[in-house]
Amino acid sequence: MSYIDIQNLSFSYQPKRPILKHIDLAVEKGEWIAILGHNGSGKSTLAKLIVGLLEPSSGTIVVDGTALNPDSAYEIRKKIGIVFQNPDNQFVGVTVRDDMAFGMENLQFSKSKMMNNIAFFADKVGMTAYLDKEPSGLSGGQKQRVAIAGILAMETEVIIFDEATSMLDPTARRELMDYIRGLHREGLTILMITHDIEEALWADRMIVLQNGELFRQGTREAMLADSAAFAEAGLELPVALQIAETLRKSGALTPELEAHLWESSLRR
Amino acid sequence: MGIQFTKVNYRYPGWGRETYGAIADVTLSISAKDEFIALVGHTGSGKSTLAQHMNALMFPTSGTVEIFGIPVTAKRNKKTDYNSLRKRVGLVFQFPEYQLFEETVEKDIMFGPRNFRITEEDAREMAKNALKMVGLSENYLRRNPFNLSGGEKKRVSIAGILAMNPDVLVLDEPTSGLDPRGKHTLMELFRSIREETGKTIIFITHDMDLVYRYADRVLVLEAGSLVFDGTPDKLFRDPDLERWHLDYPATLSVLDNVKKSLGWDLDIYQNTVGKAADELKRAVRRP
Repeated sequence: MSYIDIQNLSFSYQPKRPILKHIDLAVEKGEWIAILGHNGSGKSTLAKLIVGLLEPSSGTIVVDGTALNPDSAYEIRKKIGIVFQNPDNQFVGVTVRDDMAFGMENLQFSKSKMMNNIAFFADKVGMTAYLDKEPSGLSGGQKQRVAIAGILAMETEVIIFDEATSMLDPTARRELMDYIRGLHREGLTILMITHDIEEALWADRMIVLQNGELFRQGTREAMLADSAAFAEAGLELPVALQIAETLRKSGALTPELEAHLWESSLRR
Repeated sequence: MGIQFTKVNYRYPGWGRETYGAIADVTLSISAKDEFIALVGHTGSGKSTLAQHMNALMFPTSGTVEIFGIPVTAKRNKKTDYNSLRKRVGLVFQFPEYQLFEETVEKDIMFGPRNFRITEEDAREMAKNALKMVGLSENYLRRNPFNLSGGEKKRVSIAGILAMNPDVLVLDEPTSGLDPRGKHTLMELFRSIREETGKTIIFITHDMDLVYRYADRVLVLEAGSLVFDGTPDKLFRDPDLERWHLDYPATLSVLDNVKKSLGWDLDIYQNTVGKAADELKRAVRRP
């Protein structure tokens, strides 16, 4: 059985306006999945359903063998953390240290374990020097790293990044991607919601949502080869492949150039 | 006339000169007509601080910002109507949800004009026109702004500023959080507003692809100083680009890579996918 098993999942606020329709998705432990789709395609709703912030209209979500329902949501949230798009929307503590402690307090970790985890994970994301600072004085990238450290401190198995890099500048974005790669190497399961195809290329598997439906899924090579589907879903290919497509349409794409543009797009 | 910065410094109270968001000795002239300017620089370089000096939302610590002939300095002049400057230079913040608060889109867009003592009837007409300018149908007037998508909220918040018919439009990261299609739709919208009305448009961004494709002029801030003021074409040829923590646009990187890896003779300075493809086509045909 997969670590996360989603079957026939649907969600709507109003009966006639479904936001997610019959989603089936299996996530293996240690996998990195990129979830792509235009604004309003249902990506964030899917994330909120997986962490139990919303209740499905129908269908099931099973995490590590336990079916998600209002009674089990608390247990499941120990296993899955989420980092949101706007770093300002996720702070509760007066200091970085308080903020990191908050999740662990909810899980009733012992005082010594909390202190150990704070020290260990603050160091891991390079935020030890800021433990006694107010979160509001940090840069966007630092805030996202604190959010990650808080989740790691709860010893979760899965982190969902909901457009977590989209408000960051290019340098902070690259740094955050480096951290995410490190976490993946250490065996964490990553679900990354993004508009950015360059970021999605780091994932093992890509999933495209469109108008609430699971439109396509596959390896990055398979997905990139289907440029028509990409355009239909309101997404953009990497620029090198957009150029390749333009040349192909006018019959000017040589095999040498095509190979080069593909290779440069897929290089990690 | 337009906006003239002369030796403008701004320090956040209690902080030193080198800190986050401060600006240092900026001298800069922005025309009231027909400019399309990108304001770039890494986080904390002072972009938003500079933008808020353009309509007297912030006052310099020293130096002068002259906005349509009216000087704005550290010392506030009781006789100056600073609010009238905010009508001529409209500022759209990064997070539209912070700017929307009424129960219908119409009321939200009317808020600005009403604030400037325009009659309800006229404000309603202005709201309708502004909504049209941002490409939304009249059906949106009755909708609740909180039920709109991110892209729609941005458009409504921009309409709210356009309704006041400012001469200059300043947008703080208008495309952040939008999907690729939404980004280009919004940038094309600014381009058409500029072409149809001649308004000067200034946008803050981290996205060098947008800078290269849309802007006529780029301002680069680094630690609060204006380190570059010129065309995108000139900026991306500048050897200091990386020192300013700026990326190369993707079309340029791809062509540069082909040039170096395959040894092709290319002019890599192409600002759209179409032009980059044309340049490669030319190179393929060349014997």
